[in-house]
Amino acid sequence: MRVVIAEDQALLREGLRRLFEDAGHDVVGAVEDAGRLRSAVVEHEPDLAVVDVRMPPSFTDEGIRAARWIRDDHPDVGVLVLSQHVESAGAVGLVSQGGFGYLLKDRVLNVAEFLEAAERVARGGSALDPQVVASLVGGEPDALAALTDREREVLSLMAEGLTNNAIARRLVLTERTVEGHVRSVLTKLNLPASEDSHRRVLAVIAYLEAADHAR
Amino acid sequence: MRAARVACWVVVFLIAGVTAGAVLLDALSSRSTGPASLSFVFPLAIAMSTGVGVVVATRRRDNPIGWLLLANGFVLALNGLAANYATYGILERPGSLPGAAWAVLFDQSGWPTLFAAFAAIAFVFPDGRLPSPRWRPIALAAMVSFTVFLLLSFLRPGSFKEPFEAVSTPLPRLPEVIFFPPFTIGALGMLASLVAAALAVRTRLRRASGVERSQIKLFAYAAALVPAAVAAGWVEGLLGSGSETVTVIGLVLVVLAIPLAIGAAVLRYRLYEVDRLINRTLVYVALSALLAVTYAAVSLSLGVALGAGSTLPTAAATLAVALAFGALRSRVQMLVDRRFSRARYEGLRRVERYLVELRAGRAAPEATGEVLAEALGDPSLELFFWLPESDEHVDSSGRPARLAPDSQRDLTPVRRGSLRLGAVLHGRALSERPDLLESVIDAAGLAIEIARLRAEVARRLAEVEQSRARIVTAGYEERRRLERDLHDGAQQRLVSIGLALRHVQGQLPAPSRAAGELDAAVAELSKAIEELRELARGVRPARLDDGLGAALRELASRSALRTRVEATEERFEDRLETAAYFVASEALANAAKHAQASQVTVTAARQNGSLLVCIRDDGIGGARPAEGSGLGGMTDRVAALGGSLSVDSPLGQGTVVTVELPCES
Repeated sequence: MRVVIAEDQALLREGLRRLFEDAGHDVVGAVEDAGRLRSAVVEHEPDLAVVDVRMPPSFTDEGIRAARWIRDDHPDVGVLVLSQHVESAGAVGLVSQGGFGYLLKDRVLNVAEFLEAAERVARGGSALDPQVVASLVGGEPDALAALTDREREVLSLMAEGLTNNAIARRLVLTERTVEGHVRSVLTKLNLPASEDSHRRVLAVIAYLEAADHAR
Repeated sequence: MRAARVACWVVVFLIAGVTAGAVLLDALSSRSTGPASLSFVFPLAIAMSTGVGVVVATRRRDNPIGWLLLANGFVLALNGLAANYATYGILERPGSLPGAAWAVLFDQSGWPTLFAAFAAIAFVFPDGRLPSPRWRPIALAAMVSFTVFLLLSFLRPGSFKEPFEAVSTPLPRLPEVIFFPPFTIGALGMLASLVAAALAVRTRLRRASGVERSQIKLFAYAAALVPAAVAAGWVEGLLGSGSETVTVIGLVLVVLAIPLAIGAAVLRYRLYEVDRLINRTLVYVALSALLAVTYAAVSLSLGVALGAGSTLPTAAATLAVALAFGALRSRVQMLVDRRFSRARYEGLRRVERYLVELRAGRAAPEATGEVLAEALGDPSLELFFWLPESDEHVDSSGRPARLAPDSQRDLTPVRRGSLRLGAVLHGRALSERPDLLESVIDAAGLAIEIARLRAEVARRLAEVEQSRARIVTAGYEERRRLERDLHDGAQQRLVSIGLALRHVQGQLPAPSRAAGELDAAVAELSKAIEELRELARGVRPARLDDGLGAALRELASRSALRTRVEATEERFEDRLETAAYFVASEALANAAKHAQASQVTVTAARQNGSLLVCIRDDGIGGARPAEGSGLGGMTDRVAALGGSLSVDSPLGQGTVVTVELPCES
């Protein structure tokens, strides 16, 4: 996997580079601002761009804007946005387009899960931070009232972008059991059943977002 | 320019020469041409007329009035010289002077010249032009009739009057039949011209406004001294005391006042004080007359009662006058104002009514400016107060004001004693009535001072409120900065350390003890980061960057209670959103902790120019925001931003916390 990293803090940038390299990935660029990120993406056409949200010069949402630009101009490049905290609601909207991930920065410390999410995004899948999912699911007592606790757990992992297989491993269940839960969730929420995990994520997020805004 | 100056001085020397001759002849003569006590009045009159004439003629060269005054001086001197020359050459030492008969002729027939200059001045006063082109034939007729009358006088039939009845005229005498018809017409014409001159002044006064009106008033004021002086002399003569003091004083006053008034009017010197001058004169004349009557009445009636020789009547009369003075003075002033200065009278009455209302608490000191505008009849008038500390002017509510006089309005400073109170911006028309302006402002002095103090308090209060709002805003800014520092500084650093540990861990054989310990360390680090994030959220939720609605929804999702949020997506000022958020956060925490509530509804909307946030729970109620509690502190911050916070919590009916924050747009 060829990776470009955009992160303004040198220490963290190097840490990320080593993280990917230790895992056998090829870091083709490590830059400190959005402008250089664009050049690097144009130059290397990487599989994945890891982007910090706050970067020079204004330290507000340069990362999100750059991510949007990559989405539009280089749709084959997966974008994984890293944030210090759950912030712009706009990021959630981007996730539902696929090939996009949005994670809190400290998720990198859980190396295995982080790399799994990064690879998923690079392949065109999605990754949404558990905390974002929690805030989407947690505030939906009415919309999700019909779900069992286990189903709600499965829904959250679906929203995070995990495949059935990954969900099964995470919850220590058989894949068949997970499939059953997934079908049940989709039926209860009146969502189209789909074997494509990516489309499934979109539907779930769209559903949660719509419920979120109706509140 | 130069020629005019030279001509002017030539005339002055001429007058000086003629006057000197007249005075010399008078001194040489044993007979006087008039009462001895008046001998100095004649040169004084010449000097006044000439002196003012020189000043006016050199400063207003194109205004004939200066030259007319010079002509008047010359004519006066010439008449004096003729009289003294005739007296000396005919009566004192007959035959000693050549052409004494001509002097007699001029002395007896030249008197119309004494009126000519003043009549001419009246026609063209004050700008040196006739009131209108229609006056041209009238002025021409006046000139013709004066000339005809003067020329015919020289040819008058019959002998000279006493004491020159023996002298024979050097000119031929016309037969009476030929003389009288044109002479009568000339005399009537001359009289008519004098009336026309008076009418010219009157016409002008009617049409005039502003400066010209004041000029004419000044002239009329001096002219009015003539009948007054005549009447005073007449009364003195009637009393038969033999004294001429009053007559002399009256004459001197007239001789001084008329040229001075004309000069001051044409040169516009302190013109605006004419109204006050007239007003004061009227007051003091009326007051003197009243006191004199009082004195006479008391001393006469007591004198009759007690018989002559007693000093009691005099003492009693003096006492009566002294007592009457104070009481009469203000009454007479009011009466004169009412009759002759209507505007001033009404203005002062208005201010007085206002002061009464102010004392009774029925009027506010802030209305002083409007009352002044009303009292002075100038709706454009504005009153501003000066604040010595900040050296600036403010309006009645303490807002700083820029005082910019323009083509429409003038600025007049307002003082009370030595205290600078402020300034009045008023229409140009009032600038021409400084007496009115000053007296009305003087009368309102106390109210202005009170209003100034109130404005100062309002200003200071506004400053304190502003600084309080700034402090609260700065507090929020500080929170934002702190939140940024936590996220971008400490948190990032911890993540970097974690990554470094993971890197080290990757180089160790997997199932080693060191690797396990590193795992535990990274887990601790993750927890620390999580705690740091919670801390930063408490300082200021980053979600506020996405708006109040987003932040409230995030808040609701973390609440232990079922929480519904109905929030507008509209954005407000950052400090308002932050304040509203913290109120909601505090209210939600209270609901969860104390209210035993099961459900909470949070609404946020713009209403009547305010951001209105309402947090309603279904708990037990009875909450009281105590001092020092979370909501108590919030009340102060909300108030600092100009808003209000209320807690409605009837027992058993839940709690409603409402915060209202005014927003500008």
